[in-house]
Amino acid sequence: MKTLDRLFENSARSLAKRTSRRSLLASLGQMLTGAALMPLLPIDRTARAQEPARPTAQEQKCEYWKYCAIDGYLCACCGGTSTSCPPGTQSSPITWIGTCHNPSDGRDYIVSYNDCCGKVSCGDCFCDRNEGEKPMYRLSRNNDVNWCMANSESNYHCSVSVILGVAEK
Amino acid sequence: MIKNWPGVTLLILAAGAGPGWAATSPPLPTEHLTIATVGPKSPHWLYVVDYAYANEIDSRVWLFDGDTYRRIGQIDTGFIPGINISPDGKTTAVATTYFARGGHGTRTDVVEFNDNNTLGKTGEIVIPPKHAQSLAMLFTIGYSADGKFVYVPYLTPAASFGVLDPVKKSVLSEIDTAGCTLVYPWGPNRVSSICESGRLLTVTLDAHGKESSRTTSEPFFSADEDPVFVQAVPLKDGYAYLSFLGQVHEIDFTQPKPVMRTPWSLVSAAEKGTWRPGGVQIGAVHRARNELFVVMHQGGDGSHKQGGSEIWVFDLKSHQRKARWPIDIRQTGAVAAVQVSQDPAPLLFLATEEAHLLILDAQTGKLKHDENHLGQTPQLLLNP
Repeated sequence: MKTLDRLFENSARSLAKRTSRRSLLASLGQMLTGAALMPLLPIDRTARAQEPARPTAQEQKCEYWKYCAIDGYLCACCGGTSTSCPPGTQSSPITWIGTCHNPSDGRDYIVSYNDCCGKVSCGDCFCDRNEGEKPMYRLSRNNDVNWCMANSESNYHCSVSVILGVAEK
Repeated sequence: MIKNWPGVTLLILAAGAGPGWAATSPPLPTEHLTIATVGPKSPHWLYVVDYAYANEIDSRVWLFDGDTYRRIGQIDTGFIPGINISPDGKTTAVATTYFARGGHGTRTDVVEFNDNNTLGKTGEIVIPPKHAQSLAMLFTIGYSADGKFVYVPYLTPAASFGVLDPVKKSVLSEIDTAGCTLVYPWGPNRVSSICESGRLLTVTLDAHGKESSRTTSEPFFSADEDPVFVQAVPLKDGYAYLSFLGQVHEIDFTQPKPVMRTPWSLVSAAEKGTWRPGGVQIGAVHRARNELFVVMHQGGDGSHKQGGSEIWVFDLKSHQRKARWPIDIRQTGAVAAVQVSQDPAPLLFLATEEAHLLILDAQTGKLKHDENHLGQTPQLLLNP
């Protein structure tokens, strides 16, 4: 224990020699400023993949209620699920949204349709549904544009549908 | 014996076709490898844009002859291109994207110019990597009427458009469009973009391609109640914007500020909400005959991209429907795109969701030809 005590004492003294109280205050100030700014930064809602995708049969069907305003290849047929991009792709941070009715609980949900990017088109399970879809002048509701447009790898591969919450009436 | 036994005759002929006889027959002439030429132009030529959805980095344009039903050649068009033909018909301009490593790597956006006489590339302009990659339409690249400017909409998703000089092959300017989108060119120096507020923003350019002034129209549609398709139909003096429910908004673009004419309806009160325009390229006009051809389907809300089962023909002066032409969509797939040739004996071209190209007599609706599987997803048809 004495050895450990000595080690920490020497370390603390060394730190005290190298830094002033003013620099300590400055560092603390920077940390506090950073903490204050953090809530203003965009939140990355992209979930980190925990395990290989195992899509349900329902997720691979265009009729699935969550796909009510999707236009593209279903990622659930391309190595992902309805909420995960296939391995090796990137999710688009910008999206279009739809409002879809879940017949199982009778609720309407706001759904985000992210594109998965960085590989050529998946080419399987093409699905084009357009409930509430609007032309390009209302971009947030438009499924015609390549939503990989702002990605560093902007090729379009497939599309997912992620529930954001219950739509308020 | 031979006369009475025709089978024996056949045997003798078959034996004569063997190697022994071949040696005594003259050899085939030598052949020379050539490159086919495009040949003289015809008003019945059609540029068929295949967006190749299953492999989008490899879209292309087929040049197709509506009289001989043959493919004349191909223009490569890259990834989700904007495509249009110059006012003199000599050039096909393509705004597109290439990735450095095929499907990935550094993105380069470029406007490529193709000689319609040779189908070879004649030049390019590298543009900022933000050309609007969207569904098939005529408004993701456009020429000024005198051919001196080319306009390319940008989307990042902030909206703007680039002004290019196709002669000097240079980028002249970028014009911010305040959220309004796409390019609807008119005259030598005006460009309109369509806005969520239901208005048109119109920018007038100076001789150097820079903005000299802008105007905003009154609203002519409601994006909430009855949105218009952005795939407007070119008219003699402007564009017609069709709404999801079948309203026709004809707009005179010859004035500095676009002038909205009184809207009229494609559908009767009984048909409204049941029969709708839809598809991708939803309408075409024969300018001399003053006729509008519209792809129509039966469907409800959200069916605006559904292909059509009928073509409806309207007189643009009287707004009367002149004909309904049902399409046998069980055989061909529903109609995604329509175009009409502009000559006195016009052809009507229809591209379907199952990649058929149908050619009809545009005066009678009679089917003349069904070209089965022209490409993969043909969705835009252009005339020279």
